Amino acid sequence: MALKAEPTPTLIGKVTHYLHDGFHARSHGLYEAPPALGDARWTADLLMAGWYQAEHGRPPAHLEHRIGASGGGFDRLAFRFEDGPGADASAAAADEDALAAIDTTIPLNRRDGGRQIVLTAPWYGGGMSFGSVSENVMVSRARAAAAWGTLTCTGEGGYPPGLVPFKENVITQVATGLFGVREETIQHAPVIELKYAQGAKPGLGGHLLGDKSTTAVANIRESVPWVSLFSPFPFHSVYSVEDHKKHIDWLRTVNPTALISVKVSTPADVDMVAVGSYYAGAHIIHLDGSYGGTGAAPEIAKKNIAMPIEFAVPKVHRHLEAEGIRDQVTLIASGGVRTAYDIAKAIALGADGCVIGTAELVAMGCTRCSNCERGRGCTYGLTTTDPELQAFVQPDWGAMRLLNLYESLQWQLRDILHRLGMQSVRELRGRRDALRYIAERGGAM
Amino acid sequence: MSPQDAFIARVTALRNARPQAAPDRESAAEGGCGVIGLASTVPIAGRHLVTPLAQMRNRGNGKGGGIAAVGLDPTAMGVSAEMLADDYLLAVAYVDPSVRDEVERTWLHAAYCVDHVWDVPRMADWRELPGVEVAPPEVVVYFVRPRSDRLAAFWAQFAPQSGLGPHAKRVEDEYVHQTNHRFNVDYYAGANGTRAFVLSQGKDLLVLKMVGYAEDVIRYYRLDEFTAHVWIGHHRYPTKGRVWHPGGAHPFVGLNEALVHNGDFANYQAMCDYLAQRGLKPLFQTDTEVAAQVYDLHRRTYGYPLEYVIESLAPTTERDFVQLPADKQAAYAAIQATHIHGSPDGPWFFIIAESLREAWRLIGITDTSMLRPQVFALQEGPTHQIAFAASEKQVIDAVLDDLSAADDRFWGRADRYWAARGGSHTDGGAFVFEVTRDASGGKALRCTDKFGRAVTLADVGIGVDEAAVEGVLVDISAVAGVLVERDQHGGANGHANGLANGHANGASNGHSNGHSNGFAMETTNGTTNGTTNGQSNGRASDPADPRTLVATWTPAGADAYLDALVAAASPADPTARTAVFAALDALFDGPYDPGALRASRLLARLDDTLARVVEAIASAHCAGYRVWAGPGDDARPGDDARPAPNESIDRPTLIIDAAGLHLDVEGPASVARVLVERAALGWRRFVVVGCSGHRFIGAGFGAESGDVRIDVYGASGDYLASGIDGATIVVHGSAQDQLAQIMKRGTLVVHGDVGQAFMYGAKGGHAFVRGDAAGRPLINAVGRPRVVINGTCLDYLAESFMAGDPLRDGGFVVLNGLRSDGRGRWTELETPYGGGNLFSLASGGAIYVRDPHGRVTDDQLNGGAFQPFTAADWAVVEPMLRRNEALFGLGVDRLLTHAGMVQPPESVYRKIAPGQVKALQAEEAWVAHAGH
Repeated sequence: MALKAEPTPTLIGKVTHYLHDGFHARSHGLYEAPPALGDARWTADLLMAGWYQAEHGRPPAHLEHRIGASGGGFDRLAFRFEDGPGADASAAAADEDALAAIDTTIPLNRRDGGRQIVLTAPWYGGGMSFGSVSENVMVSRARAAAAWGTLTCTGEGGYPPGLVPFKENVITQVATGLFGVREETIQHAPVIELKYAQGAKPGLGGHLLGDKSTTAVANIRESVPWVSLFSPFPFHSVYSVEDHKKHIDWLRTVNPTALISVKVSTPADVDMVAVGSYYAGAHIIHLDGSYGGTGAAPEIAKKNIAMPIEFAVPKVHRHLEAEGIRDQVTLIASGGVRTAYDIAKAIALGADGCVIGTAELVAMGCTRCSNCERGRGCTYGLTTTDPELQAFVQPDWGAMRLLNLYESLQWQLRDILHRLGMQSVRELRGRRDALRYIAERGGAM
Repeated sequence: MSPQDAFIARVTALRNARPQAAPDRESAAEGGCGVIGLASTVPIAGRHLVTPLAQMRNRGNGKGGGIAAVGLDPTAMGVSAEMLADDYLLAVAYVDPSVRDEVERTWLHAAYCVDHVWDVPRMADWRELPGVEVAPPEVVVYFVRPRSDRLAAFWAQFAPQSGLGPHAKRVEDEYVHQTNHRFNVDYYAGANGTRAFVLSQGKDLLVLKMVGYAEDVIRYYRLDEFTAHVWIGHHRYPTKGRVWHPGGAHPFVGLNEALVHNGDFANYQAMCDYLAQRGLKPLFQTDTEVAAQVYDLHRRTYGYPLEYVIESLAPTTERDFVQLPADKQAAYAAIQATHIHGSPDGPWFFIIAESLREAWRLIGITDTSMLRPQVFALQEGPTHQIAFAASEKQVIDAVLDDLSAADDRFWGRADRYWAARGGSHTDGGAFVFEVTRDASGGKALRCTDKFGRAVTLADVGIGVDEAAVEGVLVDISAVAGVLVERDQHGGANGHANGLANGHANGASNGHSNGHSNGFAMETTNGTTNGTTNGQSNGRASDPADPRTLVATWTPAGADAYLDALVAAASPADPTARTAVFAALDALFDGPYDPGALRASRLLARLDDTLARVVEAIASAHCAGYRVWAGPGDDARPGDDARPAPNESIDRPTLIIDAAGLHLDVEGPASVARVLVERAALGWRRFVVVGCSGHRFIGAGFGAESGDVRIDVYGASGDYLASGIDGATIVVHGSAQDQLAQIMKRGTLVVHGDVGQAFMYGAKGGHAFVRGDAAGRPLINAVGRPRVVINGTCLDYLAESFMAGDPLRDGGFVVLNGLRSDGRGRWTELETPYGGGNLFSLASGGAIYVRDPHGRVTDDQLNGGAFQPFTAADWAVVEPMLRRNEALFGLGVDRLLTHAGMVQPPESVYRKIAPGQVKALQAEEAWVAHAGH
């Protein structure tokens, strides 16, 4: 549902009011009603395609499931093969056996002889905290990750007990609030993710508004119930790169076998940050660009800051190459990675793999109504810890939908690789020549 | 236009007119660092910095190291004292040695009269330095004077010349500065490649740097025996650029000063713009360079007094600003308005060596928010004074250790360690150590804060002259202006119980009672001790407690006593050893009146004694004590000889000698990992000795480690006790930064100060700090941590505290605002909390501040509010204070004493708790309604 062409002064006044007071105060009037089904980045087609894939394990034939309509980002990039005959990527691929032989695995540890983790496909699940989503959603993701051979991440709201059976597939995030981070949760983890920043709101720490900080959420974070939680924007123990190294050394003391992932947003000097992280001991450098979803950030931050991920990835990739350390580190891109095509494009730009978050929620029913910050705002029981609403998502159901989504993503990725004449997703990395920029929608450059 | 303004205008015009390199701002590198500086009345040889710098390598990455030295020895360079004082010391780094002839011929002799040339010696082959990958430059030092014809021509550009009289010296300085700048553009930063550059250009100031670590510089250039009165060492940790270049390493110079830096600047571009408007452009692609340029601009070109230069770098803000006197507010406001864009924004700690005719200076300045680690220290003996500014305490101790081994004048501990409160009205966030010379060549060191106020050792109860202890004591109260209350029992309370807290570990509980030294041993952490208010519980009458004896000791008496302890520890007798450790702890922990002894010297003696005790135990293990022999020694508790039938040793102690085994500071072979691995073999009681910055001690034990106890001696490192879940850790001395991160349960006792970000994100546990905390203690702490800090904090205490309701099992901080003065007495600080941010944005927990004078005010709170202190509050506070008393001898009665009388708690303590009434959340209302 689009706004009127010319917003009225009344509407401008209201939106300004929401910017100051928060969208949860929104009255759902006629003009300011949130879009019921998506937005330009997550179009109705993409949402429905996500739902379809979660049902069928394959992309739909008659929906645009590759790109959105944002007019930027991955929506302005196409693979060159999409120009030619047979460009419709959903056309039946030549040979399912040939596709199945294409390797989609990626290793996460490229720097030392320690723990080796190989993902079935080049993506894993991003951090969504207990509190931002329900425990059922977290367990759904963990169950799917374990079954599929990938990982999911705690976010910074602690480690709900339901995750423990899946701990080999659960990343423990250590973020600036240190909520729920304890030695045993660090020791559970195959990968420890140090979250410095989130691309959707760089320069800001995590937010959990009071309405969602229920007694259960506050208990696991050991905070005061019903009080908004704002993580600090920096680690107060890390103001410099040698502090960062010390921070990593600490986590490695607590859990010497875990891999270390450093999640950063994309400031102008992101390349320096990446190199510094590598030298401090990181196995994974995770760049979180600005298109990412978050249930709880000021609009001003969500829409206006950080470098787009499609700029950051090649910048860092090339800088790591120039430093001679590209093959010692795994570069992960996230922030608005929605589709198999987004994943493939990010890899062609120089990433080894991606982290997905919203796509998983979409598979479980999210319609991007952007009411996430409210305690009882999520109609689908995803971004809530409300005891009634969270029952809408049962872990076996959620996990099955995610597995179907993964299946579909993998099939499409193989299809893309097949069209590019590649036998492994590892060949795709940095192949910017396989891409072209779409100068105007529908036109070629 | 005043002559001063005319001079500045001319200098700026000339700087603008000179050729400039095209600065590549994009590629300017930033990164972290480790820094140390010292100033001494006694010349210090370079070798004394080698070990300390090596211990701080984990703050660099080998991509840049450098030193600066001021107050040099002329004979080492083959010049006279006069030439050293009068000539510019031009140190030129030849990255490409083949250009030396050309440089000397076409540039050097054209610009300068060269009085002397000193080829800085160097190792035959730089590849002998492990890890160094880039050839260090060849360095030649030229002692020069500007050629008079060139200087005259330069001078002629200044008009009106008649006004230049007072500035003649400054014109000469500027000639050198600009001449060398042209050279750097031609030979380093310009289009012709990086062939040579000027390392330093002041008088009596030498800078050397290379791609490597700082101690590599000392080794490579053979500075082991080279002496100076002021030294700076710097490890760099740059994060950009594959081709590392020596010009990018620190220190950076202006003219009379060399500056090193730990941190980075968020406003590097703005600083470049600011400098460009004043005719200065960076050449060396490191953000720090602009800070040196700003310093030099303000100090030399503008002629600002040091206080104003410090203000321009680290502006006084917020509450601290309004606390300044009106005249300072006016001056500072003008400085800020004019120079704020030249003020580095972000985390930084600068150490500056300055060489002026009248004094050699070491200056340490922290940024306003105190975002980088910083520690200052001072040691004064009858014939020497030495001062430090550094990233870590452990590196200071390492220098003193190294010095004391070589020179009897020094000992292994400083008399005082402290931190600066950045941008504050109290100390200004900066300290200046100035070495001056009198006509007879005598040297004196004076320490002042930003405002020029002298820092002495008076407030730690120490005068320079040990023989005149009493005389100095009289001065203390006058100089420090603090309340010095001679509490008859103050220092004595609870010590016997404090001992119990130390080492009940060697033998089973109670078995040591009555043995050799006869200390009362208890098994608890003081919680159940029977101390009643303020009673001096037997210590005064216990001749065996060494603390009652110290005041009567001579140095020889102390040595005899300590020798006796070593002898007592030598037989394989766990009971005797337990008593020895108890005695050592009593002396390490104090507080007590050391009488005629210097407390810091006694501590240094104790360090030696402890090492000898450990040696003795290592050569005769017993059922109660074992010294770990290193990798391969997989002994389990109980493997050693069983005790006599009537003794049961259920908690044998494993001693880890970090120094003796050369254990790593971090990583797989670190002390922290050794502890975890030994715990897996069944060990629960540990003593860690010989620390030199060893990090993460206590981390990694995981959940349910309630029976682990670790006693830590020496200069322990960062992140100690982080994540502990039940363990007890006692630090017998001061600790460093980031202690007890995410601490869950257990007890941490620190017999000294703690550094930055103490208990960040803690969930619970009990902590007792004898002294102060630096910035940001308890930030983002949740759950139920309970903490007593007997001193104060720099700022940001308990920001975003979320620790429930203290009256219902939640957390709190007791802030006592006292200091033990080195004579066993506790004195009140001027205010228990000087910072402008207390309990900001907190939603749970409480601060209980001992503030009988009501000096903490509402404007320090941001979201918190004073609330009535009730009997219920005292009911949760008192048990913590009882334990505190047992640990530190600070009686609860003493705490409640104000105006000479014991007062009710609510007259002395104030409660700060979250202020706002929380808004009812929609979901909360719904849940309440639905009965969920």
